[in-house]
Amino acid sequence: MVQFCQLALAICFCLGTTLLAQTPSDVERRVADLEEQLAALKAELKKEPLPPTVAGLDRALQPVSITGDYQTSATGETRLPIAGYMDFHVNKERGDSFSPDFHRFVLLFGHSFSDRIKFWSELELEHALVEGGEETGEIALEQAYLDFFVKPYFNLRAGMVLTPMGIVNERHEPPSYNGVERPFVETTIIPTTWRELGFGFTGDLGRGFRYRTYLTSSLDASRFDAEGGISHGKASGVDASLRNPARVGRLEFVGVRRLTLGTSFYSGHAGYKTPGINPRVNITEFDGRYSVRRFDLRGLFAHTWVTRTDELNHRIEQQTGVNPNTASQMRGYYLESAFHLFHRRARNDFIAFTRYERYNTQRAMPKGYVALPQFDRSSWIMGLTYKPNADVAIKFDYNFNRNRSSVVQAVDGINLGIGWWF
Amino acid sequence: MRFLKVFLMIGFAFGQSPEPKPDRIVNILAERFTYNPSKITVKQGQLVEFVLTSDDTDHGFKITAAGIDVAIPQQGMGAVRVRFIAKEKGTFPFECSRACGAGHQLMRGALVVQ
Repeated sequence: MVQFCQLALAICFCLGTTLLAQTPSDVERRVADLEEQLAALKAELKKEPLPPTVAGLDRALQPVSITGDYQTSATGETRLPIAGYMDFHVNKERGDSFSPDFHRFVLLFGHSFSDRIKFWSELELEHALVEGGEETGEIALEQAYLDFFVKPYFNLRAGMVLTPMGIVNERHEPPSYNGVERPFVETTIIPTTWRELGFGFTGDLGRGFRYRTYLTSSLDASRFDAEGGISHGKASGVDASLRNPARVGRLEFVGVRRLTLGTSFYSGHAGYKTPGINPRVNITEFDGRYSVRRFDLRGLFAHTWVTRTDELNHRIEQQTGVNPNTASQMRGYYLESAFHLFHRRARNDFIAFTRYERYNTQRAMPKGYVALPQFDRSSWIMGLTYKPNADVAIKFDYNFNRNRSSVVQAVDGINLGIGWWF
Repeated sequence: MRFLKVFLMIGFAFGQSPEPKPDRIVNILAERFTYNPSKITVKQGQLVEFVLTSDDTDHGFKITAAGIDVAIPQQGMGAVRVRFIAKEKGTFPFECSRACGAGHQLMRGALVVQ
C-alpha cells in the first residue's frame, strides 16, 4: 500500500510539473490523446480470454467468454489421443489361494471425418496374454462403428456395436460401477460385454428420452448351457450370422438430473449352427440408477425366454455327447445401494456399497427336464470403493454366494482390484 | 509515461463495470454418457451462459456453431462457464469432445434458438 501511494504521488508530481509548463491548447490535445488511450485500455480490460479458434468469426452463436476451471495443457492432466481403461484384480475363493489377474487392458480410438460422420472403437486384451490355440486370454474388438449424425432424433450407426441392454454393457469403465467384478446378473442373464455386428438408429427424442435400436447378428444356440444360460452364445462378430438378424432396442429416460431409467428388449433366432432347429431368444430388461445427496441406488431386472429348448438339448447331445440342459426361461435381478463418505463435490470419493443379486439360469425347463438347484443362485456383495481421482478406483469386496442345492455348495469370495480410466 | 499507464490501468481495474448479466443461465451436468439437460431452448438475441460441471470423469463440450470446444473438469474440480449470444434461430448440436468411455458418441445434445 505504501509503495502504491508513493507511486501515485510520484505520478501526480510529474504530471503537475509537466502540465504547468505547457499552454492550454497543448493540455487539451494531450488530455484528448489520453482519453483515447484510456478508452482503448478499458476495452482491452473488459475482454475475457477466448481460444483463438472462436474469436473473430461471424457465427450463428457468437461466443463471448469462457471462464471458470477449464483446463489448459500447461496446468492440467495430459490427454493422449487415445483413451482406455484397465482392470487389475486379485480374486480369492474360499479354500483357494489369491489369484492375480490383469483382467482387462482396453484401448479406445476414435476419429471424426466431419461433424456428421464419426468413428469409434474399443479394442480389448483380456487376461494379459493371448497364445495360439490356448485359452489364456483374448484380444477382442468390442466396438468399431461409424455414426452418421443426421438429426438429434435420428442418426445411423453401423459396425460392431454394443448390444444396448442393461447398465454395464454400455457403461463398463471400472470407476463407473462398484465391485471388483461386474454384477453376476449382467454377466449371465445379460452376457456383458455383449457386442454384435449390425446397424441401426440412435437418437434423442427430447424431454429426456433417447433410444437405440439395431438389427444385429444372432446368438449361437449351440453354445447355450445350464450354468451360463445364453451367455456363451454371443457371436462377438466371429463367424456371425445375419441370415435371421436379431432385433434389439433400448429406450432410456435421462430427463431428471442423476436419474436414468431404461428398458431394453431383444428378439432373434439363434439356430444358425443347429440346422433344422431355430430357437428364438427373447429378452426383456428394466433398469434404473438414481443418486440423491450421498446415496446411489441402482437396480436391474432381466428375463430371458428360449423356445424349442427340448429339441435343442437333444440335438446338441447328439452332436457332442453332452446334454447342455439349457433352460427355456432364465431370470435375474439385483439391487445395489451405495453411500459416499465424502461430499459429492470433493475431489476424492470413498464409497461403501452393498448389492443383492438373485439369478437363475434354469428358471423354467422344457418338458422332461428338471431344473438343477445349484443354478438358482444368490449373492450378497459388500465392499468399498476409494477414488483418489474420479478416474481411478481402488476396490475391495466380499461375496457371500449361495445356491439352492444341498449337494453343490457355492463358495464365498474376496476380490481386490484397481481400475482406471484415462 | 509507463508510470502513467500503470496508474491508469490500476485505476480502471478497480473501477471497471461488472460483466453484463446473462439473459439465461443454464446449469448442465455431464456424466457418462449424457448431458442433463440435453435439449436447451433459448430465445434469439439472448446472452446465454452455460455452467458445465461433471459427475464423473472430465468431458468435453463442443458446440460447432459457436466455435467453442472446452474441457469440463472432472467431479470435484469445479465448473466451466461458457457465454455466447444466440444470434440466429436454429437447432445447434453440441457433443462431448473428450473420449469419456464406451458410449462416448452417445453424449450429445442440442441447443434450440427460437
